[in-house]
Amino acid sequence: MATLEARNLTKNFGSTRVLRQVNLDVSDGEFIVLLGPSGCGKSTLLNMIAGLESVDEGDIRIDDYVVNKVEPKDRNIAMVFQSYALYPAMTVRENIIFGLKQRKVSKEQTEKSLSHFSKMLQVDQLLDRKPAQLSGGQRQRVAMGRALVREPQIFLFDEPLSNLDAKLRVEMRREIKKLHEQLGTTMIYVTHDQIEAMSLATRIAVMNEGIIQQIGTPQEIYDKPNSVFVADFVGSPSINLVPGKLEKNGKGFNFVPDQQPDGFNIPINGYAFENSPQEGQPVILGLRPEHINLSNTFQDAHLDLELKPTLIELTGYEQNVTFDFQGHEVTGRLPRNAQAELGSPLSLSLDLSEISLFDKETSFRI
Amino acid sequence: MPAVDLQMEALERSASRRKTFYRWLLFLILGVFAIYYLAPMYVMIVTSFKSMEEIRKGNLMMLPKEFLLDAWKIAWGGRGYDAGDVFLRPFFWNSTKMVVPAVVISTFLGAINGYILTKWRFKGDNIIFLLFLFGCFIPYQAILLPMARTLGALGISNSITGLVLVHSVYGLSFTTLFFRNYYVSIPDEMIKAARIDGAGFFKIFFKVLLPISAPIIVVTVIWQFTNIWNDFLFGSSFSFGEAAPIQVALNNMVLTSTSVKQYNVDMAAAFIAGFPTLVVYILAGKYFIRGLTAGSVKG
Repeated sequence: MATLEARNLTKNFGSTRVLRQVNLDVSDGEFIVLLGPSGCGKSTLLNMIAGLESVDEGDIRIDDYVVNKVEPKDRNIAMVFQSYALYPAMTVRENIIFGLKQRKVSKEQTEKSLSHFSKMLQVDQLLDRKPAQLSGGQRQRVAMGRALVREPQIFLFDEPLSNLDAKLRVEMRREIKKLHEQLGTTMIYVTHDQIEAMSLATRIAVMNEGIIQQIGTPQEIYDKPNSVFVADFVGSPSINLVPGKLEKNGKGFNFVPDQQPDGFNIPINGYAFENSPQEGQPVILGLRPEHINLSNTFQDAHLDLELKPTLIELTGYEQNVTFDFQGHEVTGRLPRNAQAELGSPLSLSLDLSEISLFDKETSFRI
Repeated sequence: MPAVDLQMEALERSASRRKTFYRWLLFLILGVFAIYYLAPMYVMIVTSFKSMEEIRKGNLMMLPKEFLLDAWKIAWGGRGYDAGDVFLRPFFWNSTKMVVPAVVISTFLGAINGYILTKWRFKGDNIIFLLFLFGCFIPYQAILLPMARTLGALGISNSITGLVLVHSVYGLSFTTLFFRNYYVSIPDEMIKAARIDGAGFFKIFFKVLLPISAPIIVVTVIWQFTNIWNDFLFGSSFSFGEAAPIQVALNNMVLTSTSVKQYNVDMAAAFIAGFPTLVVYILAGKYFIRGLTAGSVKG
């Protein structure tokens, strides 16, 4: 059980700035997911927390104690890697207890922990095998066993599920979630998979280009993304982004899409602005696909219009239909019984209570 | 439809016939080359079992009328004179005393170097590796004089110890290159995991890396063993008389016979001198091919 604090962390590899002034506070028992595209610095941040990368500037504190210069083995952390990183020459048993041996834990205690955690992870039948004789899922379980058996204060996961096939990935994801609920240990988890992030995290930190773009609960990140990057990175199919500008409309504002010949606009009176909007301000409007549906779906503020489908993708449970909207492609998530046909206009409704607006220049939420 | 079937069948038949033909052609070519390369060894072996009489009269390729071991005995143990009798037994052990420590030392240091250059990267490690690589291209002749001075200064010239040092140092570039290329293909995460588990520099090396290095150890040992055992230049430059390795002794034995050339003894001696490398190749050759490509393919 521990808290973790990163203050103004900076890291350079040569002239490349990998992390710029990153701040992160993790309270006891939290499950933090660092989410971002490859090269955003998330793995570097995790490696620095583990002590595997040196800190150029800033501080890392575990339980209020600065650990910048503390060896990885003395930070009371455990880490699970993408490639599992099992020791090929050792049996599963030796792999799991290797860390305990280095720490000179008594034989009795070692055996007790080994049998407890190997049962918990269902690898107790595999103890005498070598890693090469295990399947991908079993290897990942052993790697987790190796981390668990040490009973660390903080667990670090570096894309642990990326090498597994789709079905197994979902299974292991659920097990990691259960594990966190059982143990209540602080966990920090790196991934580029937004579904993993959404389903596991108590809070998500979305990273890009060496900074944390937004940190919040999965719901906050999904519903109120604070930048175009976060909005676009989280959610599948991606959020619809339409450029345009704001126009005064009595007390409130209208959104006017670019290249609009016939005075079409979207009233956005209900939108809770975070910054005061300007007349004529160039903005980007974001609306998630599930907020475009057949007419009469939404009760709250909505806008009805007719659009022509240009692409229909069935997903089984529903269908993702792409429409031509004033020269832009927008995608809606429609029920599977919706009678969508290529080229024939469909009556649709936009849920205006769920829109996001971003400044076009800064690309931050307004 | 049946017409098409027939046509397909004919195509399949002609394809399989062509395949068989090329297969046999391949075997034929391989067979010819195998005979071509094995012929000298065959001549060596049959000659060593013949008497001088038979060698003078007979055909080079003929099997001996009776298998005589005399030449082998002389080559290994001598004729029993006091003076001028050169035979291989003591020099065989000289070479063994030289090759074993030199192979062990150079292989071990190469492994440690490879480990550091891949898993404990430091500023300028690439330059160091480049220098090692450069070492592979330095010809034997270029280091003769400096090495002679060094051995003299250390007081180990004309000794087995001196030769061990020379071969260990000269082989280091190659062994480092081998191990470096092998360890590059081993994921760094394994080392990270061991560091978090609490293992230190040497523990990681001995417990985690070395147990999975068998293929590259075999490659390095074969390479080093062959080079050191077969070396003539260093042996003849840095040692003489009793401290000489077997290749030098073989040369002395063949060149110093005053009377008639004893071809049967020479052949037996040459075979004895080459035998250990042959054994090493036969025992570990399989790993040699596998290990040589391992690093490059995965890298």
